[in-house]
Amino acid sequence: MFGNQEIMLTEKKLLQDLTPEIETTGIRWYITFLLFFLIFCVGIYALIQQIEKGHIVTGMRDNVVWGLYIVNFIFFMGLSYAGALISGVLHLFHTGWRKPVIRLAELLTVISLVIGPFFIFFCIGRLDRLPFLVIYPRIQSPITWDVIAISTDLVGCFLFLYLALIEDFAILRDYSDLHVKPWKKKAYKILSLGFTGTEKEKKILSNARNVMAAMIIAIAIIVYSVLAWIFGVTLQPGWHSTIFGPYFVIAAVFSGTGLLIILMWIYRKVYHLEEYITKRHFVNVGVLLTIIAAFYGYFTFSDYLTKWYGSIKMDSMLIDKLFHDYYALFIFANYIGILLPCIIIAFPRFRTIRNITIAAVIAVTALWVNRYIIVIPTLETPFLPIQDTRPDWIRYSPTWIEWSLTLAGISVYGMLFMLVSKIAPIISISEMKEEDKIEIMK
Amino acid sequence: MKRKIALTLLFLSLFSSKAVFSYSQKNPKISPYIQFQYFKNNEENSILKTTLTYSKNRMELPLTGMKIAFFSGSGEKTRLAEIITDDKGVAIYNLKHDSDFIADNNGLWPFTSKFGGNDTIESAISELLIRDVTLNMTLTEMDSIKTIVVGAKKKEKGKEVPVSGETVTLYVPRMFSLLPIGEAKLDETGSSSVEFPASLPGDKQGNITIIARFEENAEFGNVEKKSTLKWGLPSAYSVPPGHRALWTKTAPRWMIYTLSILLSGVWGHYLFAIISLIRIRINAKKKKVEKKELFIK
Repeated sequence: MFGNQEIMLTEKKLLQDLTPEIETTGIRWYITFLLFFLIFCVGIYALIQQIEKGHIVTGMRDNVVWGLYIVNFIFFMGLSYAGALISGVLHLFHTGWRKPVIRLAELLTVISLVIGPFFIFFCIGRLDRLPFLVIYPRIQSPITWDVIAISTDLVGCFLFLYLALIEDFAILRDYSDLHVKPWKKKAYKILSLGFTGTEKEKKILSNARNVMAAMIIAIAIIVYSVLAWIFGVTLQPGWHSTIFGPYFVIAAVFSGTGLLIILMWIYRKVYHLEEYITKRHFVNVGVLLTIIAAFYGYFTFSDYLTKWYGSIKMDSMLIDKLFHDYYALFIFANYIGILLPCIIIAFPRFRTIRNITIAAVIAVTALWVNRYIIVIPTLETPFLPIQDTRPDWIRYSPTWIEWSLTLAGISVYGMLFMLVSKIAPIISISEMKEEDKIEIMK
Repeated sequence: MKRKIALTLLFLSLFSSKAVFSYSQKNPKISPYIQFQYFKNNEENSILKTTLTYSKNRMELPLTGMKIAFFSGSGEKTRLAEIITDDKGVAIYNLKHDSDFIADNNGLWPFTSKFGGNDTIESAISELLIRDVTLNMTLTEMDSIKTIVVGAKKKEKGKEVPVSGETVTLYVPRMFSLLPIGEAKLDETGSSSVEFPASLPGDKQGNITIIARFEENAEFGNVEKKSTLKWGLPSAYSVPPGHRALWTKTAPRWMIYTLSILLSGVWGHYLFAIISLIRIRINAKKKKVEKKELFIK
C-alpha cells in the first residue's frame, strides 16, 4: 500500500514537471514561433516566384538537374530513418536509459518524414503531373519504389508514434489538475481511445508497439536503401556503387543521432529538464554517435578509395573535382565532420554536455555537406561533352529561392516541434512512471 | 561643443539626404549584350543573326520584342531590314539579294547590327567583317579507310585562293547533340583529311550524316557543309527476350513478386497494430458499459 502511494506521488511529480509546457505558453515561445513563421513566409514568397517564373529562378540547369532540394530531401529523409532506427532499437531492446529520449527520437522520425518529401515537390518542374505517379505507376522505376516506400514508412511511423502516445494521452485525460483548454481535454479523451491501463489493454498495446518497433527498423533500412539505390542504379560517376545502400543507412543514423543530441540539449535547456535528461544520456548517445562515425568514416573511405584506385576516367575526373573545386567542403564533410566528433566524445575529459552537443552540431552540418558533395559534383561531371553548355550552366550554385525554401523547411521543422510540445509531453510520462515503479518495487 | 555636434549632424543629414536623392534620380538603364553572327549553311544560304540579352540575378535573359536594324557596307551604310527579336531575344535576317553584300576595299563584307535602345535599355551595336568562303567536303575510302577530305577556298581580290592554317571541326549528329569526331587543320593547299571512326552506328541502313564546320571563325563566321552516306554501322535494334527497360510495358516478374511480398508483410503488420487499437477501444467501451450497469444495480 505504501508502495502504491509512492508510485502515485512519483506520477504526480512527473505530471507537475512535464505538463506546465502544455498548460502555459510564454512570450519566448511566441517570439520564436513568429520568427520561424516569418522565415516560412519568405519561403512561400520564393515558392510563388518559382511557380510563376519556372525553375529558371533556381541554380539548376540542363546538367545539374538536382540541386539543394534533393540534398535537403535526402538529408531530412535520413534524419527520419535514423529516428526510426534509434527509437525502434531503444524500445525493442528495453535499453534502460532510453525513456527520457525515446519520445524525441519518435518525433524526429515523423517530423522529418513530413518535411522531407516537400523538397521533392519543389524540385519537380511540372507539379500538375505528380498524380501520374499514382495513376500510371511503373514498378520498374526506382522513383516508384521511393514513392511506395516513403508513403508506407509515413503510415508506419505515425502508427508507432501514436501507439507510444496513447498511454500519455490517457494520463493527461485523467489528470484533474491539468489546466488546459476544453478542446485539448476533449482531444486527449478521443486520442486515448478510452485506455484505462488494465493489464489486458497494456498487453495489447505492448504487443502492438513491439511489432511496430521491429517493423519500423526494417522499413527504415529498406526505405533508405531504396533512396540510395535511386543513385546507385544510375551509371553516374560517384553514384554507381554497390555500397551506397548501407553507406546511406549508416550516414542517416549518424546525422539522426547528432540531431537527437541537439534536440536533447534544446529541450533540456528550454523546458528545464535537467533532472530527466542528464549527462548520462548525452554520453550514451554521444558514444553511439562516435561508433557510428567510425563506421561512416570507414564506408566513406572505402567508397572513395575504390573509385580513386579504379581510375575509371569519369571517377578520376570526379575525385579530381572533389579535391580541387570542392576541396574545403570535402575536407569538412569527410575529415573534420567525422574525426572531430570522435575525438570530442572518445576522450572522457572532453565529455561535457556542451562539448557533446558541439560535436553533434558538427556531425549534422558535415553530413548535410556530404549530401551536397554527393549530389552536385557528380552532375557537374557529365559523361558526354554536351554542346552549347555554358560554364555557368555546368557549375551549380544555389539561388536565394533555393536557400529560402531550405530555411523555410527548417523553420517548419522547428514550428512542428514547438507545436507538438504543446500537445504531448516531450518526455514519455508513462515510460518514466514504469521506470520509477520498477525502482520503487525493488 | 554642442554647436559642433549640431553642425556635424546637420552636415551628415544634408549629405545623406543628397545621396539618397541622387540615388533615386539615377535609375540605371539595362546594359544589353549583343551577339552578332554570320551563318552560311549547306545550301549556300546566308543569314545574319543577332541575339539580344541582359543579365539579371546571374542569369542571362532574352530581350524580346526589340527592334534590331541590320546594315551592310562601311562608311555609308545601307539599311537591310529591321527585325523584332523573338522570345529568345533573337532576330534573323536572310541575306538574299546582291545588294545585301557590299564588299569593302579588302573584299570583306561589313555588316552592322544595331539596337537603338529605349527609356529603360541602353543602345547596343555590333559589327562583323565577313569574307566569303567555299567549304568542300569529300568522303572517300582510301585503302579501305574511310576518309573525310575537307577543303576551303576564299575570294581575295577577285581570285579564289586556298585557306590555310584554319580549323574545320567535324561532327556526327547523335540523339541529343552533335558528336565531335575530329578537327581538320587546313594546309597550304587549303585541304586536310581526317579518318572517319569505323565504329559509329548509323540508322537501319547504316546512313550517317557528317558535318564540317567553320565555327565562329574570325574571318568567315559560321560556315557548314554536310553530307550523308552509308558509313555507319547498321543499327537494326531488336529487343532481346527478357530485356528490362523503364519503357517496357510490365516490370520483371521477380520484381512484382518481391514488392508484393514485402508490402503485404509490412501492411499486414500495420493491420495488426490497427486491430490492436480497435481492440483497446472496444475493451474500454465494454468496461464503461459494465461500470454503468454496476452503478444502476
